[in-house]
Amino acid sequence: MRAMEISRSGMDVEWQRLQVIAQNLANLNTTRTASGEPFRAMRLVSGPRGDFASMISGKASAQQFGGVQVMGMEATGSGFRRVHEPGHPHADAQGFVSYPEIDHAGEMTLMIKTSRTYEANLTAMNIAQQMYSRALELGRGQ
Amino acid sequence: MTGIEAIGAIGLGAGDAAISRLSLTAPVAPAQIGQAGFSDILASGIRQVEGKVATANEMVQRFALDDSVPLHQVTFALEEARMSVELAMQVRTRLVESYRELMNMQI
Repeated sequence: MRAMEISRSGMDVEWQRLQVIAQNLANLNTTRTASGEPFRAMRLVSGPRGDFASMISGKASAQQFGGVQVMGMEATGSGFRRVHEPGHPHADAQGFVSYPEIDHAGEMTLMIKTSRTYEANLTAMNIAQQMYSRALELGRGQ
Repeated sequence: MTGIEAIGAIGLGAGDAAISRLSLTAPVAPAQIGQAGFSDILASGIRQVEGKVATANEMVQRFALDDSVPLHQVTFALEEARMSVELAMQVRTRLVESYRELMNMQI
């Protein structure tokens, strides 16, 4: 069951990563957020669950591998794209509007990677489930 | 170059540690089981199965009310509950089998 728990934590993280990517893509043209600034692309930061020091020193046993967890989110350092649109309600005095500069191709690549990672976790979970089911048949085979 | 080697050395240098890290904990000693008693083990196992079924139930309810719950968590809970019940059924089958075996013993 431990392997399945670990795979599930991986799926949880990838699920949330996809939500962040969807948020980035949905806000490609958001010129103003609650803070008054244009939207900034976010990245999900994830890392192993558990104590890093004990894991690296080799003291942790396999039982203590807790899978992966979300560490938080951080804004990418992307800047803004200034477009001359005097009619826009968010235009500044010179008639320029700041749009977020989101790496569209990068987001797409990350999305495919996220999808593949999710699938990989799903496969690992299926294999673990198969092993468990096979173990239940031990001694029953005629 | 040296930086990469330094990182690799942490993982590879402790070869024995890496193996011991993957070693599973030893199964429970027979003496400990003997203290608990067989019926206690059975009862605690059934309680665990019950807990897992209840969790699955709750997950399905939560998903029905609010579909922002990740779907894989629901299916995982369901699968976990199914496997626990299956394990319990296997244990029951084995028990009944051995009971019948004893009852049919010719004396």
